[in-house]
Amino acid sequence: MTTPADLLEDLTDGVDAVFVFSPSSGFYERFEESDVEVVVVAPENAVDAETYVELPLPFENVRDRIRFGVEGAMDRGIVDDGDEVACVVGIFGDDHDSLVRVRVDEAMHSGVYDLFANSRADPGVIRDVFEVVIELGKKGQKGKPVGALFVIGDAGKVMNKSRPLSYNPFEKSHVHVGDPIVNVMLKEFSRLDGAFVISDSGKIVSAYRYLEAGAEGVDIPKGLGTRHMAGAAITRATNATAIVLSESDGMVRAFKGGELILEIDPEDY
Amino acid sequence: MALQPGFELAGPLGAVPERFWLALSVFLLAVVLGLLVVKINASLLRRAGLPETIEGTAFERTARGVGTSTVAILSQLSGWFIVILGGIVAISVAEPSYAEQFWSQTTGFFPSLFVAVLILIVGVVVGDKVELLLSERLRSVKLPQIGIIPTAAKYSVFYVAFVLALDQIGVSTFALVVLLALYALALVVFGAVAGKQMLSSAAAGLYLFLNEPYGIGDSVKIGDEHGVVQEIDVFVTHIEADGEEYIVPNDQVFEGGIVIVHDD
Repeated sequence: MTTPADLLEDLTDGVDAVFVFSPSSGFYERFEESDVEVVVVAPENAVDAETYVELPLPFENVRDRIRFGVEGAMDRGIVDDGDEVACVVGIFGDDHDSLVRVRVDEAMHSGVYDLFANSRADPGVIRDVFEVVIELGKKGQKGKPVGALFVIGDAGKVMNKSRPLSYNPFEKSHVHVGDPIVNVMLKEFSRLDGAFVISDSGKIVSAYRYLEAGAEGVDIPKGLGTRHMAGAAITRATNATAIVLSESDGMVRAFKGGELILEIDPEDY
Repeated sequence: MALQPGFELAGPLGAVPERFWLALSVFLLAVVLGLLVVKINASLLRRAGLPETIEGTAFERTARGVGTSTVAILSQLSGWFIVILGGIVAISVAEPSYAEQFWSQTTGFFPSLFVAVLILIVGVVVGDKVELLLSERLRSVKLPQIGIIPTAAKYSVFYVAFVLALDQIGVSTFALVVLLALYALALVVFGAVAGKQMLSSAAAGLYLFLNEPYGIGDSVKIGDEHGVVQEIDVFVTHIEADGEEYIVPNDQVFEGGIVIVHDD
């Protein structure tokens, strides 16, 4: 006779660490006494946890969320290859409703954490661009779906591997992503062709750029268009990160090193 | 006819001299005027956005704690000023001989006391606000000792307000002013010496921001460093070549000039 408690026992048996996602302080205190390592993964460290991984986006996809937390912990050496961790997450709503057992494995390293934490550009800049793109994907330009391509970081090299399609509307301006006015400007400019180039610190260097990096050896899923190909190619040729909003299926995809790292649906946010 | 002028009353009231009635009406006028000023001042201060501006300052919080607000205190202060002034005028009308000696001392002193209290309140509120703004700006700086800067700024503003207020009521403040001057001088000298490089870099950076002689992506040579511009901010320019990123202070751009390489 197996009771639900036995099932949980099996899941939690011999775990090396417990990952708690976005806990309230009362919920976190219950873990403080436990003898296994407790890692808090949340947008901000509201509970003053000792080991804490910052979640830059509230990933709606639980796989991405867990992956980000585990990769972040791996990167900091909190957990190692072969460790077993239990993740306490909320799948439906904010309350914790699920327990997921994950085996930490180098092979599960998808680069989601590196995309934010170890890119050339500041993590905050990448997060800001994600926010703009997600909003753009949700609302579109005047109700119509739009596509957009943002190249973030290593701007000097990107500029040398691209050419202007027209006058740069951001010439001699000093606007940064994350400024409230910029979100409106970017939305207006998103109907222009070409890519946005953003520097490491978040300054919008140029719009209307035609990316000229060669696409040899870039391997992205079949079916994605020229915009994705151009984005992937520039990240292979430089240390930049590309965030692409697809016009056809409305998905947001991030590329780094010529590879697709993250795919999210803006409608989930 | 039976009708009599109102103030020629019989009985004990009739014995009251006419100038007492005048004094009473002056005082009543002052009270009405004071109430009016309280109302007008309160609405003026509110319309000027004072409550939003001073929200969260310690003074406002204390005021709220005792069931009032800074706006109420400031407007009531002006009202009390007028009422008390009216009272003094009324007394001088009713009893000239008594008021004469009182007038020269208290009344001359009274407006300065009012101004002094006003300066103190404004100083406290401004000091609180300065502390709040500074600590908000510095919140991202993860340094425990950084907390001293907003506090120092707050007490500097308090000190200035205190000296001004003392000066208003005629207390000799020469020593305090000298202390203030020394403090300010030390700040300026220290800032100028320590921040010389920063200041000249910022001045150069301002020019670079406005005119943009070179932009991100240009190939440039600053001094011995040769590379592609990756980033320009107020203080430094980042140039990168072969995976090495040089961070060059902007004043160096002006000192040594800059070479923009048009074709490699």
